[in-house]
Amino acid sequence: MKRRLLAATTAVTLSLTMAACGAASDSSGGDAEEGPIKIALIPPTSGALAQFGTDSVKGWETAVRLVNEDGGIDGREVELLVKGTDADPATTLRVAKEAVTQDGAQFIGSVMTSPEHGALNAQLEGLGALSFNSLGKDDALVGEQCSPYAVHVVQTTSMDVNALANSIAEMPGEKWAIQAVDYATGHSAAETFKAAAEKAGKEVVLEQFAPLNTTDFGSYITKLKNSGADAVFAVEFGADGVAFVQQADQFNLDDQLKTVLGLNMVSEPLFETLGESIVGYYNNVGYDAAADTEANKEFIEAYTEDHGSAPYYVPADAYAAAQILFAGIEEAGSSEPAEVAEALADLTVETNVGEVTVRGTDNQVLRDSYLGKVVKGDGGLAFEVVTNTSADVTTTESDPACKF
Amino acid sequence: MNAAQLLNGIALGSLLMVLSSGLAMIYGLRGVANFAHGALYMSGAYIAYSVSDRAGFWLALLVVPLALAVVGVLLELVFFRPLQHRSHIELGLITFGLALMAERLVVLIWGERTLRVTPPEFLQGTSNFLGVEYPSYRLAIIAIAVVLAAALVLWLRSTTTGLHIRAASQDIETAAIMGINVDRVSLVVVAVGSALAGFAGALAAPYIALDPGMGSAFLITVLIIVVVGGIGSIGGAMIAGMGLGVIQSVTTVWSPSVAVVVPYLALTIVLLWRPTGLAGKRVS
Repeated sequence: MKRRLLAATTAVTLSLTMAACGAASDSSGGDAEEGPIKIALIPPTSGALAQFGTDSVKGWETAVRLVNEDGGIDGREVELLVKGTDADPATTLRVAKEAVTQDGAQFIGSVMTSPEHGALNAQLEGLGALSFNSLGKDDALVGEQCSPYAVHVVQTTSMDVNALANSIAEMPGEKWAIQAVDYATGHSAAETFKAAAEKAGKEVVLEQFAPLNTTDFGSYITKLKNSGADAVFAVEFGADGVAFVQQADQFNLDDQLKTVLGLNMVSEPLFETLGESIVGYYNNVGYDAAADTEANKEFIEAYTEDHGSAPYYVPADAYAAAQILFAGIEEAGSSEPAEVAEALADLTVETNVGEVTVRGTDNQVLRDSYLGKVVKGDGGLAFEVVTNTSADVTTTESDPACKF
Repeated sequence: MNAAQLLNGIALGSLLMVLSSGLAMIYGLRGVANFAHGALYMSGAYIAYSVSDRAGFWLALLVVPLALAVVGVLLELVFFRPLQHRSHIELGLITFGLALMAERLVVLIWGERTLRVTPPEFLQGTSNFLGVEYPSYRLAIIAIAVVLAAALVLWLRSTTTGLHIRAASQDIETAAIMGINVDRVSLVVVAVGSALAGFAGALAAPYIALDPGMGSAFLITVLIIVVVGGIGSIGGAMIAGMGLGVIQSVTTVWSPSVAVVVPYLALTIVLLWRPTGLAGKRVS
């Protein structure tokens, strides 16, 4: 009797377990070919990067509105699942897993930092989801951390720095100091910049890294002043960037500098906050808002209508990511992430950031990079695009460490 | 290390000193680890942004502590007093929840955009202090914090209210038996503690960038300062705040990565060496 009971219990447990596994398997990635196409957005909702996360979501929202108004993709509606994270890789990974396995998301966007993308890339194949990175710039994401399920829409740090490097020789200042954020992007930017500066015959007299969310830059600025630097390359983002610029102004650091060159430090949403102290600052510009193309005009008009303000690089890149995804789904004739990933390889797409191609060997989107200078115009501060460098200069080939 | 780096440490220490003295007061009397203290500081900075935008920075320095004192009165009357017999963990969790709500409220009112407050014109740029060219506003912070600290200690040591606060902080039940109106003392302490948090926020506004997470960034450090200073000791918190600010800034010059762990290191060392904190049981 006991044996029969044990056997029955075992059979029931096994069948329940298998049913549960089956259910989990079915729910993973959702039903790829029916119902809405689901995209999970996982931006940071607090801390120094929260605003960029919110703006990235806005770019996706505009793209999805337009595509749904046109009848969706192959007749299927696109649905956004907006989640949130504290930008900690573990949190982001947990949220991504929930979105894919429980909510049926097939695609992921608006993940912010490079460490988050690094953690996510390692899991994408197992999750069966395709991620579109429009924010994390670390080179390793298309190198040793690359994934066939991750499309790198944004320019990498080395692409940005290579674009800036073309102009270093002409920029005033012989002794450069590097002030960067102490995480992957800051270090890789500093490394690439240092090599480019030395190649251009400039001297790097100081290299220092501040932890993310640094509030007091006094010690760093004092070291910068004491270093004798006459030019600074700064990689500080969001609230950190504002604090650095504000405090540098209080220390009169600009008096000894001929050039301040920022990497993602100065951007349009911060112009009002930073004020006129940044006039003359140089910064990489990921997106040329003045580009005279139909796709860009349509984007600017729709975005302004939706959100009441003009877009800048963060929503623009999110919108470009959405356009590339939609083109991939159309090309594949399916929303199955693996098939979309395959269809995207070497696909050329007309987007708001110009005509771009997804490089098949590492999924890097090949696009132009710009150097801008902050100028004071009639409507307030604006970027004047100084140079435009194409992808065949900024990224000549994919990293051999990336193997699909 | 040069004098400018030492001044950087003293400026940061001054800010921590003002911020932690408020928390130490509340902790000393109410025994509550007020996790909303960072949110009070953050709210102070945002109110200072709006007031200084319309009526000037000096008025903001006056209005913000008053506004936050009112918030403190509400905290005391709505949460601390009715829940004083509940466990400290429950009250701590309530203050944690209040902090989260305050953060969202700030986002709703001011948005997620990073904001900046400009110091008064005559405090912009640098001044020569003992042969060092140093930001005028930071020198002003140091001066204001020193005056405030002296006034606070004087108030606690020389006035009847100060005497009652010290007595209630030592033993609230005995103080009540001796005829001290501990409810009134608690109300004063929570209001003044909150006002100090707001004042620190207003002082910090032109110093650092304003974002809704700015309170959380300082909260852990300030909690550590209160423990290192000696739980409930305002004088201890002031000394620990200044000390930690200087040590952290000096360590940043040498190694920014190590500077991040300085507060935790200080906490471990002090708790091992002197478990009651630097000031032991002394209140002021």
